[in-house]
Amino acid sequence: MWDTVRTLFQAFMGTGLIVGWYLVSLVYLWFAEKDRRIRVLFLYMPLLLLLLYFNPIFARLICAATGDEIYYRILWLLPITVVIAYVTVSIYGRIKGRRKYWFALVSAVLVTVSGSCVYASPHFHRAENLYHMPQAVVDICDAIQVEGREVMAVFPKEMLSFVRQYTPLVCMPYGREMLVSQWKAENPLYDAMEAQVLDMDVILPLAKTYSSHFVIVPEHKPITGDPEEYGFTLIDHIDGYAVYQDTSVYIGL
Amino acid sequence: MKAVLGCLILCAWLVGIPLLTGAIPAFFTKRRRDLPFMWVSGYMLSWALFQLEAVPLVLLHIPQGFAVLVRIFGFSSLALAAVGAFLLIRSRKSAPRLTLVREEDAGSRTNRIYWGIFFALAALQLVLAVAMNYQDGDDAYYVAVSTLTESSNTMYEKMPYSMGVTGLDLRHGLAPFPVWIAFLARISGIPAVSVAHVAVPLALIPTTYLIFYQIGGQLFGKKKEKLPLFLSFTALLTIFGNYSIYTAENFMLARSRQGKAALGSIVIPAVFLLFLLILEQTELQDGMSPQSFSGPGKGRRKSTVWMLWLLLCVTVLAACLCTTVGTMLICLLLGVGGLCAAFVYRKPGLAWKTALCCTPALVYAVLYFMV
Repeated sequence: MWDTVRTLFQAFMGTGLIVGWYLVSLVYLWFAEKDRRIRVLFLYMPLLLLLLYFNPIFARLICAATGDEIYYRILWLLPITVVIAYVTVSIYGRIKGRRKYWFALVSAVLVTVSGSCVYASPHFHRAENLYHMPQAVVDICDAIQVEGREVMAVFPKEMLSFVRQYTPLVCMPYGREMLVSQWKAENPLYDAMEAQVLDMDVILPLAKTYSSHFVIVPEHKPITGDPEEYGFTLIDHIDGYAVYQDTSVYIGL
Repeated sequence: MKAVLGCLILCAWLVGIPLLTGAIPAFFTKRRRDLPFMWVSGYMLSWALFQLEAVPLVLLHIPQGFAVLVRIFGFSSLALAAVGAFLLIRSRKSAPRLTLVREEDAGSRTNRIYWGIFFALAALQLVLAVAMNYQDGDDAYYVAVSTLTESSNTMYEKMPYSMGVTGLDLRHGLAPFPVWIAFLARISGIPAVSVAHVAVPLALIPTTYLIFYQIGGQLFGKKKEKLPLFLSFTALLTIFGNYSIYTAENFMLARSRQGKAALGSIVIPAVFLLFLLILEQTELQDGMSPQSFSGPGKGRRKSTVWMLWLLLCVTVLAACLCTTVGTMLICLLLGVGGLCAAFVYRKPGLAWKTALCCTPALVYAVLYFMV
């Protein structure tokens, strides 16, 4: 349990610099702060919470109730941002003359160097539309969905997280569960869709077992087998994806 | 035209209704026309009301439950807003005019520069909330639930990831934050995916800073010239809060549409703000004058204190709406806070009242393990 708690704390603090500044701020508050309210809320409470966080019995209890993965969220109860900002401004207030402006500037630089810009995360992308969905997902879903009924479509991996956010009318035989390794979900159709070479003799019969009306495949991947043999016809090329439809089933399109 | 109307309705529900709703606690705490306080307490009241109305409908498996919820929550929110509007009009003559940033806070040229830096950093976050998209796997659940709820009128009965129906998903159903987003989508006619990814961040990011603004006001008391610098640093620390993917700051800017982000960046800071206000009143009752006194006179102190405790209780309910883990986290925060305050102030009453405020969360925790 101790290892889990320690590992989560290390993962939470990253390089540890901002959390380091926070701990330095707590030391400052301990010696310099006179206001009882601030001592209670920004010094005693966080210290008690940290003691609880690192208490193995408490950790065991909480992890049993909520799971270990989210134990780190107890650290959200530490007002890190507010305390660092407060202590910085308090020290700024004690400095006389122009030096305080230099102090503010150096502190700001230290924050930028110690932390990491949220927008520099590789998960951030320029939004392609006001849905904040990949435009290919929007275009393909618009092309295949039928008003008033659900259609079943097989999508490649990179689209799985977005389709059902955009429209409830498009269903999938498998979804995001395939992307989370801890869940250990398995699906032969997914495996066939993610192979280097797309074998239609494997994909389309499996797609039919899920009553799939559409199969969407990336155009850059080589394909073997003849979709027509299984009643699927290439109906469109959209944003680098080929859209095959099972034309043996009437869906109202 | 339909989109413009939808945007106006969204503005009304994300700005107007919370402000008017927040006028009720503002009236009783003599913070009449204090816009930041009205905004924040309005959101807490609105979320608590939504939690109280949505969870029974989820648990009872009412057919077309979402459609029923839209009517009930829509009506009760408008009724509360109407009461708030009435109180606002009633206090029109006695209260100062509505302000977001008080004039005395603006201060010297240096202060204006600090205010400028803060507003620039905050505006940058809002612009990037629209212009950039953080691709998070959890959206495949939460945003899809909003989309499915809005389109099917059912709550937590359909599989968000792929297809089909599922047994009632209670783990998530007890914290129906995505249903609140579905509600906004239904009344505005704007797709739930756009409401979640664009509109909600535009409302919730400023809410965090309005809480920080009030906390700053409490921390620096009459030394208001420090407030804009404090806010600038909070904004900078938030932008550079990606020292790991687990921080509340990261959740606030990257995953604003998820309930856990609202918990970390709004509800938890709101608890700190309310504790500051409650302890301010406690010190006043002790006959001490805290450095940052800015509250009401003696006459209305009792109603102020009670309203603040009630708001703390309401905030606990709002935490339950955000995420099921919120019930545990908020109880922990209040428990530790209440004990520390009771010990330092030598007032056991603070601990008892805080424990009472935890009751709603305990009810949801019991439901979580029982149902």
